[in-house]
Amino acid sequence: MDVKFINPFVMAAQTVFKTMLGIDASMGKPILKDVRATSGDVTGIMGLVGDRKGTIAISFREKGAIFVFKTLIGDDCTTITPEVVDAIGELTNIISGQARKEFEKANINLKAAIPMVIVGHNVELNFITKIPIISLPFNFVADNGEKEVMFLDFSFE
Amino acid sequence: MKVLVVDDFATMRKIIKNVLKQISLEDVVEAESGKHALAVLKTESVDLIISDWIMPEMTGIEFLRVCKGDEAYKKIPFIMVTAEAQKDNIMEAIKTGVDNYIVKPFTPDKLQDAIDKARARVGK
Repeated sequence: MDVKFINPFVMAAQTVFKTMLGIDASMGKPILKDVRATSGDVTGIMGLVGDRKGTIAISFREKGAIFVFKTLIGDDCTTITPEVVDAIGELTNIISGQARKEFEKANINLKAAIPMVIVGHNVELNFITKIPIISLPFNFVADNGEKEVMFLDFSFE
Repeated sequence: MKVLVVDDFATMRKIIKNVLKQISLEDVVEAESGKHALAVLKTESVDLIISDWIMPEMTGIEFLRVCKGDEAYKKIPFIMVTAEAQKDNIMEAIKTGVDNYIVKPFTPDKLQDAIDKARARVGK
């Protein structure tokens, strides 16, 4: 996979964390995944088509997903609810939109489908490409001081 | 100031409400489409409209067109929210009379700035 496909996703994730959640997310070491399954407990997945095609999956562990919900919506919550699932879907939508904006700068025009959200760890995912999946871990600190991670998994060609 | 937030996705309405709360705008009414928003405008006096672009029944641009063509609503500052900075969409909204637009993702400061500019545009 061309390395120029990674930067739009990195830029998108970090911009959305800063603007919508008001926190910094630092990227850890990218991993090549050979398992096509969810990395966390709540995962938003979205297909991208146009000049190129690919799939993006945004995945949080339970506590990270709850933190995102509380920060985005401003309500309290202690467990995964349909509202938490919807919030991860919207975050996926926003990150995807920001990534498409970054791709436009490289003259790559993409359209996105409506995101689907899957609850459960290691649930099989259908990526629309056959090439390996790159998993980008973004580390952040949640409101209780706990270290959390968002996995941005994508396959793009 | 009463704000009408129009978006077909309830979560996005909540996100916008949360951002509005951070800039001390807590008097918010909601609508899930342009058609629903017009019904809300008949019963509620609002001071600002923040509308999504893509919605079923009546899109944001259609809703904007109706508002700017109606003497009763044309002076209400209208901000369009879009997920992608697509120049064509933005140009169409400007031609239709939008008072400002904001691209997701946005910070409370950015929304405040968009509101201030939209209000100034209609002389409020």
